[in-house]
Amino acid sequence: MSVHTMLEAVNLSKRYEDGALAVDDVSFSVRPGEIFAMLGGNGAGKTTTINIFLNFLEPTAGEARINGIAAHRAPLEAKRHVAFVSENVMLYPTFTAVQNLDYFARLGGKTQYTADDYRRVLLRVGLQEEAHHKKLKGFSKGMRQKCGIAIAILKDAPAILLDEPTSGLDPKSGFEFMQLLGSLRDEGKAVLMSTHDIFRAKETADTIGIMRQGRLVMQRSRAGLAGEDLERLYMEHMAGVHE
Amino acid sequence: MLVHIIEKELRDIVGSAKFAVNFSIGTALILLSFYTGAQNHRIAQEQHEAALAANVRQYEGVTDWMRVQSFRIFLPPQPVAALVNGVSNDIGRTVEVRGRGELRSQDSRYGDDPIFAMFRFLDLDFIVTVILTLFAVLFGYDAVNGEKERGTLRLTFANAVPRTVFITGKCAGTFLGLAVPLIIPFLLGALLLPVFGVPMSGPDWTALALVTGAGLLTMGAYLLLSVWVSARTERSSTSFLVLLSVWIMTVIVLPRLSAAGADLFVSVPSMDEVNSQKSRFMSQLWNEDRTKMNGFTPANKGDVQEVMKEFNRYMQTLADDREKRFNEFAGRLNEERANRQMEHRRLTQYLSCLSPAALFTLAASELAGTSLRLEEEYLAQAREYQKEYARFMKEKTGTNTGGFAMVFRMVTDDNAEKPKPINIAEVPAFRFVPPAAEAGLPPFTIFSGTIALYALLSFAGAYRAFRTYDVR
Repeated sequence: MSVHTMLEAVNLSKRYEDGALAVDDVSFSVRPGEIFAMLGGNGAGKTTTINIFLNFLEPTAGEARINGIAAHRAPLEAKRHVAFVSENVMLYPTFTAVQNLDYFARLGGKTQYTADDYRRVLLRVGLQEEAHHKKLKGFSKGMRQKCGIAIAILKDAPAILLDEPTSGLDPKSGFEFMQLLGSLRDEGKAVLMSTHDIFRAKETADTIGIMRQGRLVMQRSRAGLAGEDLERLYMEHMAGVHE
Repeated sequence: MLVHIIEKELRDIVGSAKFAVNFSIGTALILLSFYTGAQNHRIAQEQHEAALAANVRQYEGVTDWMRVQSFRIFLPPQPVAALVNGVSNDIGRTVEVRGRGELRSQDSRYGDDPIFAMFRFLDLDFIVTVILTLFAVLFGYDAVNGEKERGTLRLTFANAVPRTVFITGKCAGTFLGLAVPLIIPFLLGALLLPVFGVPMSGPDWTALALVTGAGLLTMGAYLLLSVWVSARTERSSTSFLVLLSVWIMTVIVLPRLSAAGADLFVSVPSMDEVNSQKSRFMSQLWNEDRTKMNGFTPANKGDVQEVMKEFNRYMQTLADDREKRFNEFAGRLNEERANRQMEHRRLTQYLSCLSPAALFTLAASELAGTSLRLEEEYLAQAREYQKEYARFMKEKTGTNTGGFAMVFRMVTDDNAEKPKPINIAEVPAFRFVPPAAEAGLPPFTIFSGTIALYALLSFAGAYRAFRTYDVR
């Protein structure tokens, strides 16, 4: 493992109890200041990979490492170095945005934040000030996603896992989200993101991987994709042309 | 971290509409139960005093103690019994004491007006076993799987949160979120008691506090059971159905089935059966004595007064002998029935111990002095009183009243001074000493301890189930 690697999958495999092979010998790494976008259809193994990083699932073989720590061996230690934003951020509906932030920040071990810190981070993710003290039950999906990324920012972890974070967002919100992700990358965060959005992946990611039937069938850097039609490549890989 | 999770649970519960509705209903019912208890106590106290006065009034103008064939004693209402009714409304409050013979209690509250027996009173036992346990199920059924359904579990465990800390915080937070606010109506209800004139003594307050504590413990047991079931199921609809079934079984069905179930193993002869055996034996004794009476021959036939005295002495001897033989027979029957009843009760209690709600009923009634032992205690004290009463009446009449005796009074001089009325206040007063709270403490501790054991087992179950729970 390179000292510069923050997230690393090493020959990672996951076979479910019903025999289905969800992740098949996947290896990749994400360095600080890098966005790795995992593309792939439904059931390709993207979410399973992220779940293994979060120790929601144990790998059948291989390891998912966060800052060099195998997630399934020392999950609590590993999770201290990672923040997570899911496809559909669901928070406590009876809490306000600030109360949700406060709770999850404390869970992440950050107890020193002030009301002003919460205000600033919510403004940074684009949540209007009048919504900060409103209960979450009236929030749109876009507003909840903003809260989700604010929670990830507050955790101040060196690595961020995002599971289809722009799915269901309107184009403007999606764009703002990706801009925010770019700024986090610039701060030195290692970002692993699963997505269906080829266009945004090409725009933002430093490295793109394509998964199909549990395998990482393509992995290229932004430079390596220069002049390539990513959409065509994706469709070819989905059709198994390169196998 | 545990504190954060507990805080979050408290805030989540207290901020929910579900809590607002349940808390309002709970508060209203708890206050109503205290109010009803206080009112019932006042009514019972008034009835008790009226009965005592009427009992004295019936002997106004009576000039001969021989005419006081019996004296009624009454079970005074107890303050805590008004809040935890137990069997206090089912047992007879009045005992007619004679100088001899068996004692039976009669005139129960429910016997006076069976409509109350049909619907019972709103007391703390009902509040805890029905309302609080239902609240516990309503707040606990989706404790774990509800968070999964809402998606918050995934985000929570994306952090370095130990599962043991989370489930402990969940259980503690949910319990505190329910129990702490409910203490307020309990305290307010307790304040109502002196306002409505219920004479609560120090031990009464202690008993009430312990009963309330046991009630919250029972609620906690159902809450932890709900968390356990929630951690064993993926969907909150499934856990709700499972818990509703468990609630119906343990709160409604099991307590009712346990006595019937015990009946399958231990049969207790009915009182009718025992009484008819006693009646048959008594008839047999009377027949024997009638034959003996026919053979009565006075020593001095000339003096009517002497003949009557001799006859009464003879009758007394027969009555004493009859009573001795009858008591031996009745004692055997009673003992046999009591033994079977004890065995039946024990088995019923064992069976009902499967239900934390039934355990609370047993625990609370023990401490409130309204358990099954109340009638035994009352009759035991009445029997003691009967001895005192018999001694008193013998002093007054020269005979042991209560049996059969004939009184002949010959008036020879119309101008003679009329006899003075008796002073009925001379009859020794019956003072019921309620079973000491200390006497109810050991069974209360056992029953409450068993509830605590259920709570611990449920927590252990929840803890174990959540260790491998799929939080995705």
